[in-house]
Amino acid sequence: MFTTPRLILIALGAALNCSIGTIVYLVKLPIYLDSIGTILIVLLLAPDRTAAFICAWAAGWVGLAVSGLINPFLPWFALTDVAIALVAALLVVPAAATFRARPLRGDVFTIQVALCGIVLGVVSAIVSAPVVVYLFGGVTGSGSAFVVALFLKDGLHLMSAAIASGLAADPLDKVLQVLLAALLYRATPGDFIAMLRASETGTAS
Amino acid sequence: MPRRELISGPNFSGRSAALMALLRDAAFAAKTFYVGPYSEAALSGLTSSIADEVDLYRAKSTDNPASPGRAVFAPIDVAAFGRREPQTLSGGEQVLLALHCFSLSAFPALAIDTALEQLDPANRDAALDYLDPRNGLGLGADVALIDNRLPPPLAGWTARERTADTTAFDCDPEKVVAALAPRQAPAIAIRNLTFGYRHGRTIFRNVDLALAGGTAYRLAGPNGAGKTTLLKLLVGVLAPNAGELLLGDAPYRPWRHGNRAIALATQNPDHQWSGATLRDDLARRRAAFAHLVGGDAFAESRLVKLAAALGAKSLDTHLYELPLAARKRLSWLWPLAGALPWAVLDEPSLGQDPATRVGLAAAIARLTALGHGVLFVTHDDDFAARIPHRVLAIGEMQVKEAP
Amino acid sequence: MTPNGAFTVGFILIALSVAEPGPRGAAVLVALALAFAVIEVGGASLIALKRAAIVVLPLALFMSLVWVGLVGEAPYQIAADIVGTRTAALVYVAKLSGRLFFVVAVIQLVFLRFADLTPLQLVRALALPAPVKRMLAITLSLIGTLRHAIDRAHIALIASGTLTRAPSWRNAVHSWRLIQAVWLSAVTILIGRMRDKWPVEGTMARLDGALDRGKSRVFAGADRIWLPITLAAGCAILLADLAWKR
Repeated sequence: MFTTPRLILIALGAALNCSIGTIVYLVKLPIYLDSIGTILIVLLLAPDRTAAFICAWAAGWVGLAVSGLINPFLPWFALTDVAIALVAALLVVPAAATFRARPLRGDVFTIQVALCGIVLGVVSAIVSAPVVVYLFGGVTGSGSAFVVALFLKDGLHLMSAAIASGLAADPLDKVLQVLLAALLYRATPGDFIAMLRASETGTAS
Repeated sequence: MPRRELISGPNFSGRSAALMALLRDAAFAAKTFYVGPYSEAALSGLTSSIADEVDLYRAKSTDNPASPGRAVFAPIDVAAFGRREPQTLSGGEQVLLALHCFSLSAFPALAIDTALEQLDPANRDAALDYLDPRNGLGLGADVALIDNRLPPPLAGWTARERTADTTAFDCDPEKVVAALAPRQAPAIAIRNLTFGYRHGRTIFRNVDLALAGGTAYRLAGPNGAGKTTLLKLLVGVLAPNAGELLLGDAPYRPWRHGNRAIALATQNPDHQWSGATLRDDLARRRAAFAHLVGGDAFAESRLVKLAAALGAKSLDTHLYELPLAARKRLSWLWPLAGALPWAVLDEPSLGQDPATRVGLAAAIARLTALGHGVLFVTHDDDFAARIPHRVLAIGEMQVKEAP
Repeated sequence: MTPNGAFTVGFILIALSVAEPGPRGAAVLVALALAFAVIEVGGASLIALKRAAIVVLPLALFMSLVWVGLVGEAPYQIAADIVGTRTAALVYVAKLSGRLFFVVAVIQLVFLRFADLTPLQLVRALALPAPVKRMLAITLSLIGTLRHAIDRAHIALIASGTLTRAPSWRNAVHSWRLIQAVWLSAVTILIGRMRDKWPVEGTMARLDGALDRGKSRVFAGADRIWLPITLAAGCAILLADLAWKR
């Protein structure tokens, strides 16, 4: 399972999550873009769903540990990362062939990106809401705090506001992330993908 | 008796593959220290400080003591670099670091794939002396080497000659410049230029230099002197701490307004792609040209011909899936195509066989004769001798035209 | 003091701060952290405080804007369905920011304590399973690789005229190009290592060897003073808290 190329991929996915996610966090937009690495790992390891899920999960948690040095809220959303890895392995893996197809089939590509993104977004919003409410009382440092505040002003209770804010922002955020991951996947050299998909028989070197 | 194997032949004759096959040969040592063409294959990539890189390879008591008392190779003061990241060193310094690590290790074999071509003459001679089986240093290691500037026979080395097995990437650099019209490139003036990296040493102090169009300049200096740094300043990747650039007679600030005068071919070709395919990359350049200079640089049909002259059968070629030597050749396309008045080439002949070097030198000489300005860096004196040029010497924070 | 000792002390301090101790418990935590800073880290503690401020201050301002400025009530007041006040919201944001500042400062202090160690030496000293240490070392090196790839992509896109070094709207428009170039650059670097360098040398095995702590003790030196003090303080805080909350 954990061949050397896959260990590298986990670390690379974690580093991607950290770097892009940190920039967005600092700019305070109501999106996250902090799971592009996770989704990309799933695409690169398709069609092996198990390897894709486990490596994506590992990348998510490694990324959280490192990002936690800049964004102290992040490590508490560990369960969200597991959920994203799981849903991505189930939904995004079958879309890998479409995303990689040359030439690109625009209509199918768009539908797959939208579908994967929306489902990922809904799941992410629902799994994250309890953490936002019970651990932070609704107060987090990300741009989505604005949206929570607006819903609260409208008279919603905290949990409802957190879920509503998540459902307002997460699907859009995840669609964007799936799109970016798919485009990066399209551009990835075939050599690299072949190295990742090979399961090793000897010792890792 | 330790083996010395020199694998030679033209590009795309399978030299690198032959090298790898040799390393797997039962008669060759079990584990080999490998120094590849660029940093990704010369350094481990597993450490974030030079001290750690040395520590990773240093012989330990658990290692096979195949080489007790191996002579240390240290032409640069590695200890002084200590906390820097290995990737911040220049190309030549990284090769020297790699060889230094080998000399401290217990590896029973060493393989070098064109990496020595990045060394300045003094360091290259020192490296070749170190590897010479007749030097009495007792390396206690087998060595396999590929180097385009060492035609066999080499005393003490077994030659393995390869022949070309494909014409897929054949190139003719002179064809790229054949249809170019003459032009007068504006002069570049550097006034009072001072630059140093933050938290690092000063590289240039109060440099004054005048570069005339229609002239080729060779930037010469030892590894780590700042040649690539000067090129980055000219192109706008770096901004000077003080001083200014002039293009023609007007102030020129590419770091603020964009690079509209210089077509750069980087030392490592993968430092210059703006897209995944050649079409993408050229589209970006043409778009930038239209924005910064105005007009369309080239018709697509012309670009297809130019790319074919450098070995790319189609503009949809996926750049990162080409062999390294082919990518290096395509890195010359934009400078030789002549859209911009100045061409800057950083070690353009690295990894290229003698026949290709001759063709490239002729193309650069023609480009200059047509009125373009050219600045090139090379440690290959034979290559440089084929291009009529003036010499700019870099050293001690200065750049001066040598008499 | 060993890295294992320092990381354990840091972990206990952070865990206690997250448990929301009362005022006296918080004072004990701050006193302990200050003692650690002065005795173990010295003058470099100011760097830790500066870094914590850089991370937390903008966050605190942002949260104030949202909760004091926009919402005007504290979350617990909203949850309890009572009329809230901006003062309560400000106090809430201040407490949360203070806790975050403490956490970030402690993390920075622990790392600064070992600023003289190289990354490899630091990871080697940690008493963690070998696969975890390997993953840590690889991740640190991949962050370096990614920074190098960003540098390469920057050079490429500036040289081609697509981006400028100075901020500009064009840079924002072409940011996708930069992301793609960074990814491809990183992948190319990794292909070079994984296909040629590492298999031939067995470099990963060398890394495992370099990360092996050998027979050195997990805790040593000043750990034997700090760990009992921190644990004792932790127990006292938790007990006092239970009494306080009752």
